[in-house]
Amino acid sequence: MTDHAIRKVERRPAVLGSWATGLYAIWLREVKRAIRDRGQLIGGVVRPLLYVLIMGIGLNPYFRGEIYGEVRFVVPYTYVQFLFPAVIALNIMYTSVQSAVSVIWDREFGFLREVLVSPMPRVAILTGKILGGTTVAMFHGALVLALARFADLPLTLADLATGLSLMFLLAFALTALGVVIANRIRSFEGFGVFSNVVILPLYFLSSSIFPLDPSLTSAQSRVIYPEWLVTLIQINPLTYAIDSLRGAFIHFHQFDWWLGPAVMISMAVAFFLVAWHDFRRV
Amino acid sequence: MIAASKPAVEIDHISKRYGRTLALDDVAFDVPRGTVFALLGPNGAGKTTLLHILCTILAPDSGTARIDGIDVRKDPLGARRSLGVVFQEPSLDDRLTVEENLEFHGMVYGVAKPVRRARIAEMLKLVELEKWRGTLARALSSGMKRRLEIARALIHDSRILFLDEPTAGLDAQSRERMWQYLRNAREERELTAIVTTHYIEEVESCDRVCIIDRGRILADDAPAALKARHGHERLRVVARDEATRAEVLAAYPDIAAAQGEEIVLRGGGDAFTESFLTRFGTRIRRLSIEEPSLESVFLSLTGRELRDQAAGARERTYEFGKRGGEHTR
Repeated sequence: MTDHAIRKVERRPAVLGSWATGLYAIWLREVKRAIRDRGQLIGGVVRPLLYVLIMGIGLNPYFRGEIYGEVRFVVPYTYVQFLFPAVIALNIMYTSVQSAVSVIWDREFGFLREVLVSPMPRVAILTGKILGGTTVAMFHGALVLALARFADLPLTLADLATGLSLMFLLAFALTALGVVIANRIRSFEGFGVFSNVVILPLYFLSSSIFPLDPSLTSAQSRVIYPEWLVTLIQINPLTYAIDSLRGAFIHFHQFDWWLGPAVMISMAVAFFLVAWHDFRRV
Repeated sequence: MIAASKPAVEIDHISKRYGRTLALDDVAFDVPRGTVFALLGPNGAGKTTLLHILCTILAPDSGTARIDGIDVRKDPLGARRSLGVVFQEPSLDDRLTVEENLEFHGMVYGVAKPVRRARIAEMLKLVELEKWRGTLARALSSGMKRRLEIARALIHDSRILFLDEPTAGLDAQSRERMWQYLRNAREERELTAIVTTHYIEEVESCDRVCIIDRGRILADDAPAALKARHGHERLRVVARDEATRAEVLAAYPDIAAAQGEEIVLRGGGDAFTESFLTRFGTRIRRLSIEEPSLESVFLSLTGRELRDQAAGARERTYEFGKRGGEHTR
């Protein structure tokens, strides 16, 4: 191609197609970076191993009540099965927040600025960034699925399809939340703060590692949770997200089935709008 | 080309205030097409603020700027299409390779794939990084990173290039090469480059120099013209004996100063040199004529030397990242 021809092609006006290319570039960059980050990958593999194989299998025998010699499960599932969908959510949460941290570094080290002076509109930049983070988070969530057979979880294709769409919703909402947090953080103290202040409290307060409704069996009904704990769990949106994942993978719901998707869709829309609003001022 | 006669960049009475500090005070100048234009000033003079306004990531309080005839406030996306930027802080993605960084930039700027491929090859050749195309950006030296950033800024065929302190932190050899690439790029494509710097010796070879301090433009001209107008020529004389030395000092009490065994005579010009030589020519051991430097121009315009600054919060965060920070690069 001659230089003249090159210039001619290049000078054509911006169209939606070129925005799509730019969005794809930003998405691709997120994914490539994540693949090259060994530390993140190791975390994504080790976390489910710890939770499912050690905590899940270890607590499995204690997750049932015994009435007059009759062994009954607290919920009609084993503990590993109960815990399994929550571990998927945990992995998604870690990865989404890590992509938020990458927003901070992009901002501090000028890479974001390099994108901001490009002719791409802000909303396309933001969407590319969030979709990239979502993809990586989905991938980390899917890593957990590899352990399904250890959790004695028969996965049908239909379950898998429902589960993956719910995982996408959750990953998108959490990545958007991550960007919102990142936009508001001025001094960065490292990822440890995030994991201890955001991820773990949300996770433990989401009925992830213990069922909320103690009246499921008569043995369990004698144990009454303190009210503050129940309240915190009920106002935590992650509770409903994990509940819907449970619905998809083990067909067990503690709440109405539509609550989970509804909460996740509202989170995704709300956080995206807030992130967009913030992003226009950057 | 129709627009050839128009200036590449027009800046019209731009002011910007940060709280109580006036970062830019009614700045106005044009940058003609095809020039290498230097913005010279100490840290905090307002150079970066001005550059950020020109590349549309900061809005001025008042005034307008046009890039290639496009108003940066009315059509920022359009203005961005014609400009390339090399920021003060490195802005490469360390975890992508040299080629991927260029590819990413081309995609974000909407450059069609075959054109992108051709340009990447061309630019890698221009900055001599062909051998490194598959290397991760983090493995490059700081000089190579700078060169890659210049190549990147040219991928979308930008005709106007902004470089904010492109040579800061580089060793002398890399700095020289950086300027060489910039000059090559200008030869090959009618490029206009606007460079901020606080290295005074680097701007000697620029076409125009604009001296900025405390948000105000103090002078804007070719280096030679600036030196002629604001600089001073100096004669350095070593007398043959003590008597002559005393006589010279006595003859020019206003402009002569003793510096060790040398006498420095300020001011002058050819006529002065001639008259000096007629009178003392046979009684001096050595005489040298010091051309006026931009350093002296800067000194006489601002009343001080270019100063440096302590590391700010951003530099410290940057150091944290460099040390390996968590989940960073």
